Amino acid sequence: MRPQLESVLHEVEKVIVGKREAISKILTALLADGHVLLDDVPGVGKTSLAVALSRAVGFSFQRIQFTPDVLPSDLVGFSMYDKLSGDFVYRPGAISRAHLVLGDEINRASSKTQSALLEAMEEHQVTVDGKTYPLETPFLVIATENSVGTAGTQPLPYAQMDRFLIRLSLGYPDYEAQMAMLRDRQDQDPQETVVRVMDREEWIARQREARAVTVKDAILDYITRLTMASRDHEKTEVGISPRGALCLGRMAKAWAYLEGRDYVTGADVQAVFADVCAHRLLLKENAGVTVQEVLSDLIRKTENPDRRGLFPGLRKK
Amino acid sequence: MRRRFFGGAVWLFCAACLYFFENNTGTRIVLLGSLAAFLLPPVRAAFFGADALRDEDRPTQRTVRTFSQMEEEEPGDVRLYQPGDPVRRIHWKLSAKRGELLIRESEVITDPRDEKRTIPSPEAAGKDRFRTRAIWVLIVLALISVALLFLLPQAHLGTQALCNRLFAASEAVNAYAYRYYPVPEGQSAALACVLLSLFAGALTGLMILSGSRLLPLVLVAACTLFQVYFGLALPVLILVPLYSFFAVLLMRRPVPRSDLLAFGVLVLVLSLVTALLLPGVDPATERASEAVRDRLSELSQSFTGTVTEAPEGETETRHIHPRSLAEGDQAARTERTFRLVTVLEKQISQPQWVDLLKILLLAILSSLLLILPFTPFLLLNARRKKARETEKRFQSEDTAEAVRAVFSRIVQWLDATGRGGGNRLYRYWPQNFSDDLPEGYAERFSRCAMDVEEATYSSHPLPEEKRARALELLRETEKALWSAADLKQKFLLKYWMCLCE
Repeated sequence: MRPQLESVLHEVEKVIVGKREAISKILTALLADGHVLLDDVPGVGKTSLAVALSRAVGFSFQRIQFTPDVLPSDLVGFSMYDKLSGDFVYRPGAISRAHLVLGDEINRASSKTQSALLEAMEEHQVTVDGKTYPLETPFLVIATENSVGTAGTQPLPYAQMDRFLIRLSLGYPDYEAQMAMLRDRQDQDPQETVVRVMDREEWIARQREARAVTVKDAILDYITRLTMASRDHEKTEVGISPRGALCLGRMAKAWAYLEGRDYVTGADVQAVFADVCAHRLLLKENAGVTVQEVLSDLIRKTENPDRRGLFPGLRKK
Repeated sequence: MRRRFFGGAVWLFCAACLYFFENNTGTRIVLLGSLAAFLLPPVRAAFFGADALRDEDRPTQRTVRTFSQMEEEEPGDVRLYQPGDPVRRIHWKLSAKRGELLIRESEVITDPRDEKRTIPSPEAAGKDRFRTRAIWVLIVLALISVALLFLLPQAHLGTQALCNRLFAASEAVNAYAYRYYPVPEGQSAALACVLLSLFAGALTGLMILSGSRLLPLVLVAACTLFQVYFGLALPVLILVPLYSFFAVLLMRRPVPRSDLLAFGVLVLVLSLVTALLLPGVDPATERASEAVRDRLSELSQSFTGTVTEAPEGETETRHIHPRSLAEGDQAARTERTFRLVTVLEKQISQPQWVDLLKILLLAILSSLLLILPFTPFLLLNARRKKARETEKRFQSEDTAEAVRAVFSRIVQWLDATGRGGGNRLYRYWPQNFSDDLPEGYAERFSRCAMDVEEATYSSHPLPEEKRARALELLRETEKALWSAADLKQKFLLKYWMCLCE
């Protein structure tokens, strides 16, 4: 693993114990300039994770707790009349000056607010009163959805879920991790111990390097076959979109980069496949299987690129 | 490959036809012999492919050839380019070095199709034109001679007289011929001979000039069908030269002189042996067998009680028949009853259409039986070739290519012994390795799998030591799996997968 990113991971691990894989997935998604959707119960450390991450990388951090009455202007800012100059002056909103935004319980916001945030995520800019303001670079969003207490919530539509690069859940820590956590936090706040190991420029340089990772046609072929197989699968209503395929490629590149390689392998694709594609797959009603089962079925049945590369005679089409 | 195989198949078919429908031991032996003679010298080329078995193609030296070594190739192998040489055989490397075009001279038999891919020179073009003209002239000549053979009554009769002689010759070998043509006494066959030899000469010229192997095949088939239809058993001295001539024409050209010589010696020995030891039919044996047959039919009639097809008198004349033939009794020939018997015999002996169908079916079956034993060799040969190609790639200049080739061999070994991981990525295969593999094998395997991933998916060159590492792993795999394999697996590994020598 790249030493610099390794140290970022190490810093975050001081706060979130025993979740190395999930943290590196999130780091990867952010490295690929994508947004993360966390699907979790309250209190497993989503906010702590975001805070620790922004501290370690030197990002400015903004947190929004969504409720039904949060308005789009709270996010993107608004123009206010200035009596002295007699002009309208732009007042930046919550996301205007932030590198890393944590949107807590995004499904509690009104659909208007949700779409404002999603648009900003996609375009990397906001428009207020006809004037366009660019957002900070990088602009990364970690949004959370609580899976309990969903009364009165506005669930994210399937189409908007597609905008998040990955969706994953941290889950509860195991026995060892929780014991260690309780023991360590009796007299100090672990957030205080997180030190900055990187600055913004370095982060952007890492992102650029991650984009330059080599992807051979064999891997693209694998991604294409995987996504096409998901559309033909008997249990799926809607398969993985072309955008999903693009995201899979991007995520695999960043994952390969995080692993310290400058080329993507089939293992990279398989490693991130479930996280990138789980929220892009719509199963048929009464399918009787979970999305994860369908995804692992796809991995199992699609011929892997390693084998195809070595024995090209097996290629069918 | 398929074309060569096709030629062999037609040959076998014809030989099988003759073999099954000649009722003379001597002919059978000759035919089988000519079949063997045909198969023996070119069997390598026809069924295994000449280049597959050539020693220099085997990667015996496991050293990487450097550029300087390539340069020092024996200068005897090349000569100056001449217009008309195939472009494929230009030795580009040496040509570039010396500044003039050089041709690689190897004794590897070239594909006749290569000849088309040459840079046309004016001389060659002239030669080509001459050849086309000659071919046309020969075709016309052949057609005219055939037409004359049928149109001129003298020639027609002469041909029939010739056929009668052929039948007589066949009768000397095989007791009797089915038919004779009614030809006036003392009919001269000179004109027919001239026309026929013209026809044969034109055909031979055509076969040699056009280089096509389809024509001899058709002729072989026609010859064979002719013999089967007329129930002929030609004497060895006609049959063997005829078929061996066709066999030579059918060989893959240019025919190596050594093959030709071996073939000739074989044909000579076979025909001599047959002519000396099995000269033909023994009339005494034939007569005795006829008598036995008559007695048998008499017996069967006494069992069934009634005589259905032949009246009483006819059965009696059957007793007279062999005697009359032997003594040349003219009086017996004129008798009505004798004529009846001969008519009956003709009906029995001459092949009817239904019989022809039967013949065809039997012939197909028998040729299938003759071809089938060769099919596994054909299949195995493809695998062998593939394995050799992979082995050649072990020493490829490109380390990545070499590592991939070596690893594919390792994977084949594991798959063949049921240790493969199926559609899992290679780096995850060690998860279901069993304990009987050597200590630390799983780690070495996954490291090698990672090297292969690098070789496949990265764009930078691979360091040389990874090749050595992969080869080391291959040797270890071979050793471990071979010693663990049972007899059946060893057989599969060696002969079916062609993984080891």
